[in-house]
Amino acid sequence: MRNKITLALWLIFSITIVFIYLNIGSPSANIISQVRIPRLLLTLFTGMALAGIGSIYQLMLANPLAEPYILGISSGSAFGSILAGVSGFIILMPLGGFVGAGLTMLLVWKLAHQKGRFDKSRLLISGVIAGMFFAAGISLLMYLHLQDTALILGTLMGNLGRIFSSGEWLTFSILLAVSLLILAYLYFKSTAIDILSNGDIYAGSLGINVLHLRREVFLLTSIVIGICVAYAGIIGFVGLIIPHVVRFFIPSGQRRIYLFSLWAGAIFLLVCDMAAKHLLAIELPVGVITAFLGCPFFMWLLLRK
Amino acid sequence: MKYFKLVLSLLLLLLIMSCKKGVPKAPSGYVVLSPEVAEILCALGAEADIVAITEECNFPPILASKPKVGSFSAIDKEAIIALNPAIIFASALEQEGQAAELKKLGYNVQVFYPKSLKSMNEEILKLGRLTGKINASQNMRLQMEAAVAAIKAKCANLPRPKVYLEIYRDPLMSVSDSSFVGELIEAAGGDNIFPTLERDYARVNPEAVINAKPDIMICFSQDSLNNIRSRKGWQDIPAIRNKRIYFEKDINPDLIQRATPRCIDGMRSLQKLFFQKDK
Repeated sequence: MRNKITLALWLIFSITIVFIYLNIGSPSANIISQVRIPRLLLTLFTGMALAGIGSIYQLMLANPLAEPYILGISSGSAFGSILAGVSGFIILMPLGGFVGAGLTMLLVWKLAHQKGRFDKSRLLISGVIAGMFFAAGISLLMYLHLQDTALILGTLMGNLGRIFSSGEWLTFSILLAVSLLILAYLYFKSTAIDILSNGDIYAGSLGINVLHLRREVFLLTSIVIGICVAYAGIIGFVGLIIPHVVRFFIPSGQRRIYLFSLWAGAIFLLVCDMAAKHLLAIELPVGVITAFLGCPFFMWLLLRK
Repeated sequence: MKYFKLVLSLLLLLLIMSCKKGVPKAPSGYVVLSPEVAEILCALGAEADIVAITEECNFPPILASKPKVGSFSAIDKEAIIALNPAIIFASALEQEGQAAELKKLGYNVQVFYPKSLKSMNEEILKLGRLTGKINASQNMRLQMEAAVAAIKAKCANLPRPKVYLEIYRDPLMSVSDSSFVGELIEAAGGDNIFPTLERDYARVNPEAVINAKPDIMICFSQDSLNNIRSRKGWQDIPAIRNKRIYFEKDINPDLIQRATPRCIDGMRSLQKLFFQKDK
């Protein structure tokens, strides 16, 4: 009974937030449908994807510090998208990000195999190394293109305020649909991932094709992260903290943790974006807000429990 | 150990021989790091004294033959020291740190970063004093003031079109009235839709652009006409509906973004864009 009330309250809260987000400052109908709804969708999707994938990585890599950006995909994607941006192809930034993510993914995947065998630690290390490499690349681009600092910072600290032309919007809608399908598919893999976290031999004995499952999850999540970073830049913190917060309330059962991570991540990022837009006269980078709001909240949770 | 002293003395000899007996040269000439100062100095007739420039100093074309000491944000300090200039003219922004370091080395470093027409006129006089072109600078100032007054008078009684200047697309950035280009827009008879921003060049919200309904859009953000026209929610903006969008080919950014005498030409072109009938 108590659970149902909490759930209902949470649902009402989410709907209220979405409503406020769309109507704050009494905008015209044109602005709501053409500017705010695209931004709302991008924000919800980014928050969902980051938190959901974060919860999967933490379980699969058996590392509470794992987050969607740890495997270097995000740095590769950011590098690709910044490279496109500073070369003058601002319209093609998402494409650059996507190509960057794809290449990094292949590289990390290749490095994670030793004599054809997949190794969890190798995956983590090669991901971190790839991330460092591309971070250095981004620093270099920033140094060489000081006049494009705004664009580079937008990518590094999150930029949800992208303007879409109609062509770009169509592309984004298709990618969004694909990503949502992937996220839904991953939901049905939750139980298998849960079992996998108890060890390969145990999972294998239950009839799970361990190698295949890992490969599948890695490829699918990389695609979604690539899309996320390509459109919204790197937004830290959501993927790391939201799954932990959810686990405070739901200690076990990846199926439910994943589902609530998706939900909480989306709403959390929406609140952060709203704060980023309205806290000061100038729009703040959303990545700063996620950390400012999330860290104290997490500390409070730690102290309370 | 046997050869140690021998090797050491040989090395010492080599070191002494490689030292040239240098006669300290008296400092002369100007190193100009700021494109704006380069333009003003040439307009004052001091281009012969400029011994080096940075890559961005591209006007007047006569400067192309001058040696370069790096680019605006990456200055080659050793090259400057080798030239031993009498005065180094720097700008603010990225050059501030470099200017401070050159000052520490004992050079006469002058920093110019005019942010308004008024301070530009004052700095022209200062440049005249520093370079001994006092008469030329006073004449230039009077001419500039007269030209600005004439431009302002021309549009005094005309309705002011609302103007949106986009300097960056992702994230969207525009200018405020307290920036140099913002002042030019206002002086040329336009009404900048972002009179106050936190900084002279700052990020703006796309919703604010839509709500402000600008009549004219100047796009320096390298976006294409088709793309701008298909931006979601922008179709009702008068500038876009009436196709009054202007690009770098319509108005040279250097004419309105640099605080130099050429800004008069920039203001005239702006005025022409503002008050011409639909394209």
